Amino acid sequence: MDGKVKKQRKHQQKHSGPKAEKKKLRKQGPSTEEDERRRNPKAFSVQSAVRMAKTFHRAQDIKAKKHHIPLVDRTPLEPPPVVIVVMGPPKVGKTTLIRCLIKNFTRQKLADICGPVTIVSGKKRRLTFIECTNDINTMIDLAKVADLVLMLIDASFGFEMETFEFLNICQVHGFPRIMGVLTHLDAFKNNKTLRKTKKNLKHRFWTEVYQGAKLFYLSGMVYGEYQTQEVKNLGRFISVMKFRPLVWQTSHPYVLVDRMEDLTDPEKVRTEPKCDRTVSLYGYLRGTYLKNKSHIHIAGVGDYQVSEVNFLPDPCSLPDTQKKRALNEKERLLYAPMAGVGGVVYDKDAVYVDLPASHVKQQQEEVRPTTELVQSLLDTHATLDAKMAASKVSLFSGSATLNSDELVEHERLQEETVWDQQNGRSRRKVVFNDSQDQASGSSEEEDEEEDKEQDEEQDEDDDHLNRFLRQTREGSGPPHKKQKVEQPPSELPVFADSEDELEKSEEDSEKDSEEDSEEEEDPGEEGDSEEEEDPDEEEDSEEEDKEEGSEEEGSEEEQGALCWKESLQQKASEAFLRQQEAAPNLRKLVYGTVVEAAGVQNENEEDEELGGLFRVSRPQNNKRLQADALDCSRFHPNGTHDWDSQEVLDSIRDCFVTGKWEHSEDAATLLKEDDELYGDFEDLETGEVHKKQNVEDQEQMESNSEAENEEQLLVQTDEEEQRKKRLEKKRRLKERFDSEYDDGEATYLDDLKEEMQKQAELNRAEFETMDDETRVQYEGFRPGMYVRLEISSLPCEFVTNFDPHYAIILGGLSSSEGNVGYLQMRLKKHRWYDRILKTRDPLILSLGWRRFQTIPLYHIEDHNGRHRLLKYTPQHMHCGASIWGPVTPQGTGFLALQSVAGTKANFRIAATGVILDVDKSVTIVKKLKLLGYPYKIFKNTCFVKGMFNTVLEVAKFEGASIRSVSGVRGQIKKALSTPPGAFRATFEDRLLMSDIVFLRSWYPVTVPQLYNAVTNLLLPVGQKDSWAGMRTLGQLKHDLGIRNKPNTDSLYKPVLRAPRLFNKLHIPKELQKALPFKSKPKQQVPKGKTPRDLQRPGVIREPHERKVMALLQALGTIHNYKTKKAKTVKHAKHKEFLQQKNQQEEAKSKRQRELRKKLYKAMGQTEKKTARSSLKGNTED
Amino acid sequence: MASQGLVYDGCNFFRQRLVLSTLSGKRVKIKNIRSRDDEPGLRDFEASFIRLLDKVTNGSRIEINQTGTVLFYQPGLLYGGSIEHECNPQRSIGYYLEALLLLAPFMKTPLQATLKGVTNDPTDPTVDLLKLTSIPLMKKFGIDGEGLDLKVVKRGMAPGGGGEIVFKCPVRRTIKPVQLTDPGKIKRIRGIAYSVRVSPQMGNRIVESARSVLNQFLPDIYIYTDHMKGTHSGKSPGFGLTLVAETLSGTFLSAEMSSTPQGKGDPVLPENIGKNCAKLLLDEIYRGGCVDSSNQSLALLLMTLGQPDVSKVLLGPLSPYTIEFLRHIRDFFQIMFKIEVQKPLEDERKGGDKTLMTCVGVGYSNINKTLK
Repeated sequence: MDGKVKKQRKHQQKHSGPKAEKKKLRKQGPSTEEDERRRNPKAFSVQSAVRMAKTFHRAQDIKAKKHHIPLVDRTPLEPPPVVIVVMGPPKVGKTTLIRCLIKNFTRQKLADICGPVTIVSGKKRRLTFIECTNDINTMIDLAKVADLVLMLIDASFGFEMETFEFLNICQVHGFPRIMGVLTHLDAFKNNKTLRKTKKNLKHRFWTEVYQGAKLFYLSGMVYGEYQTQEVKNLGRFISVMKFRPLVWQTSHPYVLVDRMEDLTDPEKVRTEPKCDRTVSLYGYLRGTYLKNKSHIHIAGVGDYQVSEVNFLPDPCSLPDTQKKRALNEKERLLYAPMAGVGGVVYDKDAVYVDLPASHVKQQQEEVRPTTELVQSLLDTHATLDAKMAASKVSLFSGSATLNSDELVEHERLQEETVWDQQNGRSRRKVVFNDSQDQASGSSEEEDEEEDKEQDEEQDEDDDHLNRFLRQTREGSGPPHKKQKVEQPPSELPVFADSEDELEKSEEDSEKDSEEDSEEEEDPGEEGDSEEEEDPDEEEDSEEEDKEEGSEEEGSEEEQGALCWKESLQQKASEAFLRQQEAAPNLRKLVYGTVVEAAGVQNENEEDEELGGLFRVSRPQNNKRLQADALDCSRFHPNGTHDWDSQEVLDSIRDCFVTGKWEHSEDAATLLKEDDELYGDFEDLETGEVHKKQNVEDQEQMESNSEAENEEQLLVQTDEEEQRKKRLEKKRRLKERFDSEYDDGEATYLDDLKEEMQKQAELNRAEFETMDDETRVQYEGFRPGMYVRLEISSLPCEFVTNFDPHYAIILGGLSSSEGNVGYLQMRLKKHRWYDRILKTRDPLILSLGWRRFQTIPLYHIEDHNGRHRLLKYTPQHMHCGASIWGPVTPQGTGFLALQSVAGTKANFRIAATGVILDVDKSVTIVKKLKLLGYPYKIFKNTCFVKGMFNTVLEVAKFEGASIRSVSGVRGQIKKALSTPPGAFRATFEDRLLMSDIVFLRSWYPVTVPQLYNAVTNLLLPVGQKDSWAGMRTLGQLKHDLGIRNKPNTDSLYKPVLRAPRLFNKLHIPKELQKALPFKSKPKQQVPKGKTPRDLQRPGVIREPHERKVMALLQALGTIHNYKTKKAKTVKHAKHKEFLQQKNQQEEAKSKRQRELRKKLYKAMGQTEKKTARSSLKGNTED
Repeated sequence: MASQGLVYDGCNFFRQRLVLSTLSGKRVKIKNIRSRDDEPGLRDFEASFIRLLDKVTNGSRIEINQTGTVLFYQPGLLYGGSIEHECNPQRSIGYYLEALLLLAPFMKTPLQATLKGVTNDPTDPTVDLLKLTSIPLMKKFGIDGEGLDLKVVKRGMAPGGGGEIVFKCPVRRTIKPVQLTDPGKIKRIRGIAYSVRVSPQMGNRIVESARSVLNQFLPDIYIYTDHMKGTHSGKSPGFGLTLVAETLSGTFLSAEMSSTPQGKGDPVLPENIGKNCAKLLLDEIYRGGCVDSSNQSLALLLMTLGQPDVSKVLLGPLSPYTIEFLRHIRDFFQIMFKIEVQKPLEDERKGGDKTLMTCVGVGYSNINKTLK
C-alpha cells in the first residue's frame, strides 16, 4: 500500500520443549519394529493360530533348506593346483587369455600353450591352466576334473552350441565353478547395442548357471593381448575363489597328466614298432588317496593297472612360509613340460632334456663338442633299462650331488639357463638309484624322526652308526668331492642285521611257539637288503652331512666323536631286555620287509612266478605247513598265565571297576575337587557354616590315611604343581559352564558338525609327523603330491599318436569299479535333442571317468514293479535304461551321445541320467501274445490249436488265462495228444469258430553285452575327434543304401467294397394273418407303368380345335383372375367389417364395465354405511 | 577291463580270501589245496561254505578242478535277502557265520539267513559268543537298528548238529570311522552255561565253578543257564560255557569252552569247564583291548571299509588269524595298518601289551545297494 515491504517474521524452530523432543525422535530415523509393536500392539497380536503355525512352519522350512549334510573336510594341507579349464568355441581367444593370465601371474611369456600349465599364483595357491579343444571328448574329460571353468563367449557372435553343451556336461558330472568371460567386445561400434548385448548374454548365462553368476568382460585387445587391468582383475578373482567339493572328484583319485615319458626299451621299439609300451606319466594327484597298484582309467585309452607309483619333489612348489605380502620373482614358478618349459626334467632315475627339433638334426649329422652333453644325456635315455639294473650311471668323470632343492631350481629355469649351468653340472655326478627314490633325500630329516617313532632303540643305534660312518668318511674323503648318501630304508638300517639276528634269536627262543609262522626275516632277504645298501654306503654326500650335522648340534648325544660308542653297548643290552619282555616290531611281523621294499624291490622269483599279481610276505620256510592248516579264527595263546597265583591275578586288577582308577577319573579325587570348588557352603537347616579347608591341609590329612600317596603329596607342594592344579580347576569350571550354557542350544546338526570337525582334525594329525615315504604306505599317495605313475603295456598308438593338446586324465577306480556288470539307470532324453532314442541303438555314454559305447534297452516300470521294454524313449519323461557297462556307484550321473565324431550344428547331448542299481542280471520283459485258433467247439469247452508246438510247451502253460478277441475269458486245461501243441480250454461262454484265442505273456529280454571304450586318444594326430564306433541300424542302412522291404500286409491299398445283397423278408402266412393291417404286407403292388395294351394313344387336334382350346384357356384365365381379385376385395372388406364390429364390441363392454363399477361402488358404500351405523349404534348404546 | 586276480596257495584262511575277494571284486585263485594230503582237495565244509557264498551272491563264478585242489572264484554282487543254508556239521555254524558277519552289511537287500547245523563246538567261535560280542561291535560301526539280530532257535552240539540260528542284518551304504582307544573298566560279567541232552544240573555246576574264580574281581556276575529240551536240543549231548565281560565304554571281552564232542576224546567235567573258561576270560582280559580276540578281523575289516578317515582301535596281541587277515587286506585293498605297541605303565595293573591299530579307510561304498 505504501510501497513498503513489510518484513515477514521468520519461523522460529523450537529447540527445546516437548514438541522439539517429539520432532527429534521422529527425525532419528524410521521407527524400529519394536516401536511399531509397542505403538500398535493389535496389529501384531495373534490373529489366527493356524496362520501363525503356517508362517512358523515356512520359516523353519526355509531355515532347514539352507542346511547341508556336513562332510568331513579332507582337503590336504598343501592342496594340489587348482585346475582351471579354459573352454569356448574356436577363435574366441582361449589361448590369448591363458597367455595373458600366465603373464599376469608369472611375468613370463609362453609362446605355445599345449598341455597343462602350472603356475604359482600366490603364497597358498597354485593354478593349472588347461585349454579345452573344441572336441566333445575333451570337453567331457575336462569337465570331470575342472575346479573352475573359464567359459569364453564371443560376444560379437553370441552363444554357441559348445557353450551349452559344456554347461550340460558340467551339470551331469558335478557342477564346478563356472565363470563366463565375454570377449570380442571391441567389435561393437555402438555403445547402446553393446550394453544391450551384454545384458542379454548375462541373463541367459544366469539362467544356465545360477542367478548372479560372475561374467567377465574383456573389452578389447592391445597389441594382441587383453588389457592388463582386466586380466589382473580376472586373476584376482581366480586367486581368491573358493571351490565346492564335488562328490565324484572327492571320492576318486585323479591325475591331470602334465608330462609323459616312454620307458620302453628302444631296441624293442626298433625291432617291433608295434609293441606295447611302458610309459610313465606325471602330474599332481588330486581327489583322494591313491593306492599303489590300483586300477586307473585313462580317459580315451582304457583301463590299466598302475605298475608303480612314486612321488617326486614338487616341480612347482609353493614358497616356504614367509611373512611378507607378495611373492618375489623367484617364487613365481611356471611348470609346463608339454609346452617346453622346464627344459631339463628330473625323474626318479633319469634326467630328460627337452631338445628342439633342430638340435636333434644337428646331432644326427655330426657330433659336435657343444652337443656332447646332450648326446650323453640322450645316451642315458637310451640305456634306461641297463641303468635301472645297474641302479646308477655316471655321466661324467667328476661326481656331484643332485640335491632336491637344486632340482627344483633347475626346473624353474628356462632352456637357455640350462646351458649356462653346464659348467656347474659337468662337475657333478648324477646318481641314479633304483632302490631309493630321489625324494627320500629331501625328506631325510623327517625320515629320522619317523624312525624314532617307529622303533626307537633300533634306529637310535642306527643313527649313531650312520653318523659315525659319515663322520669318518668326511674326514677321510676329499672335502671338495660332493657325494650322496643313500638314506637306508627305515626298516632295515645299515647295521640292523645284527639286531635282527638278536631279535630273531629271541623270537625263536621265546615266541616261536606263538608266532613261528609269522616270522618275516628270512636270511635271504636280509642278505639282499645288505647288498642293496652296500653301494649306497660308499657314496656319501657332504651336503647331506652338513644337514645332519646341523641337526645333530641340537641333540645332546653329539658331544664327542666317540660318544656313540659308549652308549652302544648299554643300548644294545637295553634293547635286548626290552625285546625279551615285549613283542618284536609288529609292523615287520605283519607286513614283512615289504614296507621298505614295496616301492623298490622288483619281483623276486616267486613274484615272477605269480605274474606280478601279488606279493607274498610270508616266510618261505614253513609256508607249506601253514598253507593247509586249519582255518580257524580262535586265538590259542600258548603262554597262558597261571591264574591261580595271586600275582598274576593282581596284574589285571585295574581292569575292573573295583580296581584302582586313574587320578582324573577316580571318584574320590573328583569329590575332593568338587569340594575345592564349592567348598564353602552354609547348611541352612542347621545354620552350620562349612569353610573350605586348605588344600594342603586336606592333602596332609589324606596323606596320613594313605601311606602310599605320601611321596606324591610332597611333590605336590611344589609351586609348579599348584599352578597346574589351579589351571586344571579353572578348566574344569569352564567346561562345566560351557556344558550348561552351550549344550542347550546345540542341535543335531551342530553335533554332527562338531563330530566331523574332530574327525578332520584327527585325520590331519595322525600321520603328520611321519615322513612321506612311510606315510604313503599307510595312507596311499595323498592329494597334492606330484606323482609318477608307471604303466606297462599301453598300446603303441598312445605314444606314437601323442598330442599334447589333448589332456590325458588318469582317473583312479575304487576296488569294484574295475568290473563290468549290468547297470540300471534312470534316463531322460535331453529336451534340446531333436530325436527320440531307440532301444538297441548303440549310444556313447560318459559315466564316471569313462566314455564308452554300449547298447541300452529302455524300459518303464509298471505299477506292479515289472520292467516293461520300451521301443523308444518317451518324449518328455524319465524312463529306465539297462546297459552292460562298468560297475559304478549308485547316484553317479551320466550323459549319452549318439556320436562323438566331428561337429554338428545340432545339440549333441542325447540324454542324461543317473545310475540306480548295479547287478549281474536284468529283469526286463517284453509283451508277447501267442495266438491260437479253435478247431472244435463244445458248449463252453473248446479245442485250440496253433498256439504251441509240443505237448511240453502246453504243459508249461497249464492253467494260464487266455482270452478271445471278442473278450471271452478262459483257461488252458490240458494238452491234447494230436495235433501236437493243441490243448483243451474252457471259456466263460461259447466261442465261435471265427474267434481267435490269445495268451498274453511276458518274455525276458537280454541286454546285449557291448562295452566298447571310446579310444579317441589312440587315433592319429588331427583325427582324434573322429572316433566312430558301432553304427546304429538306421545309419548302417543309410550308409549301405539298404531300404527296408515293408510287410505287404502293412501297405495301404485302395479300399474295394462289394455291394451288399440282402435276402427278401419272408413272413409266414400265419403270422401275416395275426398282424394288424398296418403291418401286414400289402398285396397291392404299387402302380407301375401302364401296360401297353392299356396305354391310350395321344390326341392330335385340328387347327380350329386348337384355336378354340386356346380361347377357352384364355377365357378361363381371365375368369380365374377376376374371381381371385373379387375374392381379395371381399376378404379385405370383411376384415374391415370385423374390425368395426370389434371396436363396437369393445366400446360396449367398456361402458358396461364402468356402469358395473359405479354400481359396485355404490353397493360398497351402502354396505359400509350399514356396518358403520351398526357399530355406531353399539357404541352409542 | 583289466581286472587282475590274486593267487594263493593252500586252503588255510580260505574264508578270508573268498570274503575279501567278494568285497573287493577281485578274482582269486587258490591252488594246491591239500595237494600233498591223503585226501586232496576241498573238504565238505569248504564246499558247503562256497555254496553259502553262492547263495548270498548273484553272478559269481566258481570253478573247481577235478581233484578239488584248485579253486577259482570270480565274485559276483552281494545280493542278500532271505536264505537258508544247511551247514556241514564238520564245522560249526560259527565258521560260516563269521564270514557272513563280514559280508552282511554290504548286501543289496538286508540279509536274513537261517543256518542249520552245529551251533557249538570247541574249535570255532560258537554262535553265543558271536551274538554277545560281534553284534555290539558292529553297532559301533553304525550297523545298528531294528534289523541287526542273531537268534539261536535250536541248539545243536557237535558232532550231530541239528541246531538252527537266524541272523538278520541291515545294509549300510558307508561305514563310520571309529576311535576305540579306551576299553574302559569292566563293570559286569555275563555268561551262558548251556547244556543239551544231559542233566540240567550240568549248567548249575558250570556256573558255580566259574563264579568261584571270577568273584574275586567283581560281584556283578550273572551266568544264565540255558537248557534246551526236545526238538530244540539237537542231535548230540553236550554242554559248555560262554563268558562275556562288559566294560563301561561298551567293550565286550569273551571266552568260551565247550565239552568235547561225543566220542572224540576224553569227557570233561563241568567244573573244569567252568573254571578253565573263567581263566580263559581272565586271560582275555589280560590281553585286553577294545575288541576281543575273536572279533579282531571283523573290526579291522570294518575299519578298512570305512570312509577315508582315520580309524583307531586298541587291540590285544594280534592273533595269527588276524595277522594273516591284515596281509590279505593289504593284498585286496592296498591298505596298511599303523601298528603301535602300547606298553602298560609301571604302576598300572591292566594286563599285557596292547596294540593300537590305525588306518585310513578305503572309502568303500556299498555298490550293491539300490538307489530308489
